[in-house]
Formats: sequence, structure tokens, C-alpha cells
Amino acid sequence: MSFQFAYLAGLMPNLAVAALVNLRLSAMIIVLALIGGTALTILRSLKIRPVNAIIAVLISFIRGTPLLIQIFLFYYVLPAIGLDLSPTVAGVAAIALNSSIFISETMRGALITIDPGQIEAATALSLPRHLVWAKVILPQLFRRVLPVLVNEATIVVKGTALLSVITVVDVLRTAQQIASASYRPFETLIGAALVFLAINLTISLLGRRVEGRFAVQRA
Amino acid sequence: MAFDPAILVQYWPLFLQGAWLTIQISVQAFLLGYTLGIAVALLGLMPGRLPRLAAASYVEVLRAIPFIIILFVIYYGLPFSGLRLPAPLVGTVALGLFASAYYAEIVRAGILALPRGQFESARAIGMSPLQAMRHIVGPQVARAIVPPSTNMTLTMIKESAVLSSITVPELTYQGLVVQGNTFAPFEVFAAVTLIYWGITLAVAGAAHRLERRLGVAQARSVSRNRLAASYLLLERESAR
Amino acid sequence: MTIPALKVSGLTKRFRGVTALDSIYLDVARGEVVTLIGPSGCGKSTLLRCLTWLEEPDDGFIEVGGRPFGRAVVGQVVHRQTRREIDALRPKIGLVFQNLNLWPHLSALENVARGPVVVLGRKRAAVEAQARTLLARLGLERQMDKHPHELSGGQRQRVAIARTLAMEPELILFDEPTSALDPELVGEVLGLLREIAATGMTMLVVTHEIGFAGGVADRIAFMDQGRIVETGPARAVLDNPTDPRLRAFLGRVLPSSPRVTA
Repeated sequence: MSFQFAYLAGLMPNLAVAALVNLRLSAMIIVLALIGGTALTILRSLKIRPVNAIIAVLISFIRGTPLLIQIFLFYYVLPAIGLDLSPTVAGVAAIALNSSIFISETMRGALITIDPGQIEAATALSLPRHLVWAKVILPQLFRRVLPVLVNEATIVVKGTALLSVITVVDVLRTAQQIASASYRPFETLIGAALVFLAINLTISLLGRRVEGRFAVQRA
Repeated sequence: MAFDPAILVQYWPLFLQGAWLTIQISVQAFLLGYTLGIAVALLGLMPGRLPRLAAASYVEVLRAIPFIIILFVIYYGLPFSGLRLPAPLVGTVALGLFASAYYAEIVRAGILALPRGQFESARAIGMSPLQAMRHIVGPQVARAIVPPSTNMTLTMIKESAVLSSITVPELTYQGLVVQGNTFAPFEVFAAVTLIYWGITLAVAGAAHRLERRLGVAQARSVSRNRLAASYLLLERESAR
Repeated sequence: MTIPALKVSGLTKRFRGVTALDSIYLDVARGEVVTLIGPSGCGKSTLLRCLTWLEEPDDGFIEVGGRPFGRAVVGQVVHRQTRREIDALRPKIGLVFQNLNLWPHLSALENVARGPVVVLGRKRAAVEAQARTLLARLGLERQMDKHPHELSGGQRQRVAIARTLAMEPELILFDEPTSALDPELVGEVLGLLREIAATGMTMLVVTHEIGFAGGVADRIAFMDQGRIVETGPARAVLDNPTDPRLRAFLGRVLPSSPRVTA
């Protein structure tokens, strides 16, 4: 059997439609992770000992175990303790948790680069804590972590491919279904690869454009 | 719901086998991936547009595609060329290939970060290019690439879990097998998770010791005024 | 007629159509201290880099202590020397870089000792002993095991000089030895350079410290746009510059530079 480009070309529309699933889920995950990561960072800044201790363990756990296993935990283990989630919800939750942790850790590194003088000035102006965060810290923080966030977005997109393992019908699972019917796994998988290539290269390029406009250049 | 450790006791040989295979595959993929990565990095540093373009494309493509798809493409594509290789071998090669793209970027950045003057001052006192590499350039580049390489290696070890989807009997696969037999997901995944966690903690610990021995600068905590610290520091500063 | 420590004939170097060095002729006698001055971009650094073959001159010859360096004439034919031949002569031409280029992963002692061990093939024990003596002579007894980042600017400068001296050069080139220093340290380094000169070392110093040129140097060479425009005994050139470009340069530079007093 030789590689048939025509077949591959014919597949692309189907795969592109299936890819919308990945895009939709990725968007949800990224939004959840941004909210979660920011909330986690603010919580950690309160430095409540027991809370931070638990969070530290959680971070070590999330960073020390495979994403696939984390997905399995949400999909297989949660039902066993009563929480029955659909594959999609379980998958989105798992990847969002994973991403929140990484975003929070990234923010931790970026926070140190913020000028303490601004905090002092804001406090001297009687700004309450939540406004110091909202008006002074977060805007700068987001500009500083923007490049890392763009990278994290590509990682999330790649993560959604793993959801095919827990039966979510995304582009990879679609490709596998087509392959099992047509006995041409090579072309279909290359097609799926091309879809991800297109998505992630676009994200990176857009990211670079946006960074040029908004991100803070280190002096 | 009762936690039944008896299951783990009965099946621990399988977990151990799986863990051992995970470790073996990781080591082999690391060696393959780093060698390939260094080659690609050096290619990308050669003069001329073609080598740089080739290296850059290699890196961009392998980093944009999910590892599971890279794995499937190789595993299902190989039979086309008449080659039928055992799953663990295919998995190791795929993992190594995947990691090589990241290692290549790390090595390239490490080499580019070294000021040219370091090499020049070595040559100016009469060292041959090889001597300059060995005594001056090499040690400094090595120091620069260890921390990001550690990070990537940990990522690669975790990514090895994906090999379970092509029936490589590593740790995740064994977990799924036992779970299939016992319908005790909690116990099974608790065990698998802890083993992965243990492996990554051990590797991270060894890497930090290596970094210290090589003299990699440890991040120093920045002292700042207490008001700013109440916002910007996420942990209490411990007295060192 | 004694053999000059350094003999430069017709050295030419072009970068993408710009002539950085335009047929330079320069002789430096043994034990002589020559200062090279000139406006930025005149080619001073390029000249020093060519003299250690970090840049390959397009034309011209260099002789170190009578031996050809980089290019040799064999019979009627001009040869570029092999890399080995060039590396063999390099220790004889010391170069102290403007930004020093100390090796950060090695201690001060090791920075000084590594060259003689690796390049000259000497035994480590002897080399280390000599390195200790050298560093002590330069006032660095307590800094030997420190790494460059733990040293002050002035101390690093001295390690860089020690590293070059350890190779037993026949002459030393200095590229702007004081430009990276705080003003109060400049005098210290110039004093050090004068001490080295007093030992009889042949030196070629690129500097904008005209006071040094007047106080320590035997000869001054003024470069402009790749050519040595005027050269002569230091005091004579400074007091009575003939070339109008040199006069203009000194006019701009002199009022603000301190004189190194004897």
C-alpha cells in the first residue's frame, strides 16, 4: 500500500469539523485555567499556612504525574466515590486543573518582577487589597506571562487529543474511526497531525503578534 | 466505599514490572532524544539558510503535534514500509523523537547564550578549538542546559504514560489491566499515581544534586519590603 | 639592528566593503610601550584582533620576535600558516580584552593556571605554584580561590592580566584596559600597567587615557580611519601634533583627561 495524497485531501474537511470539538474544549479549558490559576495565585498570596501546605502538595502531585493519569483519575476514580462525570466534563476538568497549576506557578515567578514601589504607592492611596490586585498587579502580571500563556494554550490543545482515550469524539478519535473503516490508518493519522499542526502554528503566530503589542519587554 | 489494599498486594508484581519498563523506556528515550537533539541543535547553528530552516522545521512540527498522534503515526505507519517492530521499541523511538525537538531547542539556546568572547579568549592564549570546547565552552554550556533539560526529561517520563495506548506494558497499561480485572479504580490509580509521583520526585532530586555539583547558580530569594511581600510572595520567607 | 618584538607590514582588513585597516605599518621594539589612540571606529580594536589572528587580515604580514605569524613567505610564495602553527605562536602575543572574558566557571587561580597546563603542557604542580606567585604579586593573595563574579572590577582586571602573563608572552596587547572601570580605579590600573612596563615587557596599549600615553608610553601612534596617521615619541606628539586630524582629536579629548604623574 502506498501513501495516497488524494485520500488525505478528501479527509481534511471531516477532520476539520471534528477539530472544532478540540477547539471548543480548549477554549473552555483555557478560560477555566486562567480563572483558576489567578484565583489560586491570589489565595496563595494570603499565606495561610495549612492552605498553602495543601496547595504545595497538590502542585507537586499535578507536576509529578502524567496528564493522562490525571484524566483517568477524573474519569475512572471519581465515579467510584460518587461523582459521575461525562467523559467531556471529566476531561475538561482534569486538563483545566492541570493548566491552572502551571499558570499559577508561572505567575509566582512573574510576581517577583513587579515593582514593589507600585504596591506601596497604591496602599498609600488607601486602595483596598482587592483593588490593588485588580488595578495594579493583575494587569501587569498578565502582560508579563503572556508568552508563557500562549505556550500553555498550545499545550492545552495538544492535551485535548488525549480525551480520545476516554471516548470523547475529537479529531483523533474521528480519525481512528475513519481509519478502522477504511483500513488507511497512516493517511488519517497524518491528517489529524496536520490539523493540530495548523491549529498550534496559528496560535503561536497570533501569540507573537499579540505579544508585540501587549507584552512587557524585560529591560 | 472501602479501600481494599489486598488488591494491591495481589497485583504488585504487575505494577513493579510496569514501573520498571517505564524507567527503562525513559532512559533509552532520553539517550536517543538527547543525542538527536544535540545533532539537530548543531545543524541549526550551521551557516547557511538550509540547515537552519531544516532544524527549525523539525522542532516546530514535533512541538506542535500531540505526542499521542506522533506515536500513532509511527506505530500505524511503520507496517506500510513493511517494517513490523515490537510496540515497546516503537514507543521508545517515538518518545525519543518527541523529546529530541525540545532538547534541540534547549541545547541551541544554551550555546547561543554563551558570549563569543569566552571562546575567543581561550583561542587567544593558544588553545585549539577542541581544547577551547572542552575546557571553556563545554562546561559552561552544560551548566546552562541542565535545569531546562531536567524539566523536559520529567515531562518525557510523564508522557510515557501515553504508550499504554499502543499496548506497551508500562505502568499505566498495567494499571488499566488490573483495573479491568478488579474494578477497583481507586486502589489501582492510587498506586499507579504514587509510583509515578515517586519516580518524578526521585529524578528531580537527583537532578538538583547534579546541578549543585556542577555549580549551577541556585535562585536566591529576593528580600523585599513586607508590604509588597504580602502581595507578591506566595510563600513565607524562611530564614536561611 | 635588534629584532623588533613586533613588526607589522602592510596589514589590511576589509569588512563588507569597509576598509577597517588600510595598510598598517608598525614596529614595536623590545621593551617599548606604544599607545594607540584615535577616535572610535578608527580600527584600533580591529588591529589588536588581527595581531592575535582572531580576525584574519586580508593582506600584510606580522612578525613576532622575528618569526612570521599567520602568514609566511616560503620561497616566492605567500602561505597562510596552519592552525597549529598559529596556535603555537599565540601564547607569545598576550591579549587583555576590553571586557576581560574571564572564565566564570573557574576560580581566579584556575583561570591563570589552565592555559600553561593545557597549551604549554607544563606540569600542574609547578604551574599552580607559579600562578600563586603571580597572583600574589598582583595583590590577589586572598582572592585565588574566588570566582570572577565574586571579585571587584579592579581585581578581575588583574586576574585577566595574570592569565596573560602566565603564558610568558613576548609582548602584551591591551584593549582599552580602563574603559570598564569606575573612575577611581582607573589610576590603580594605570599604575599596574606602568609597573608591568617597568619590568621590561613590550606593550601595545589601545586607550583613550591620554594621560597614560603621556606619562608611561614611549611612543604614541594615532590612528584614523584605518591608517596610522602620526607616530612618534609620546611627549613630542602630544605637545606638538603635526597632523590636523590629530590636533582636532587632542583638542576634543585633552582638556578632560587627567595626567598620570610620575
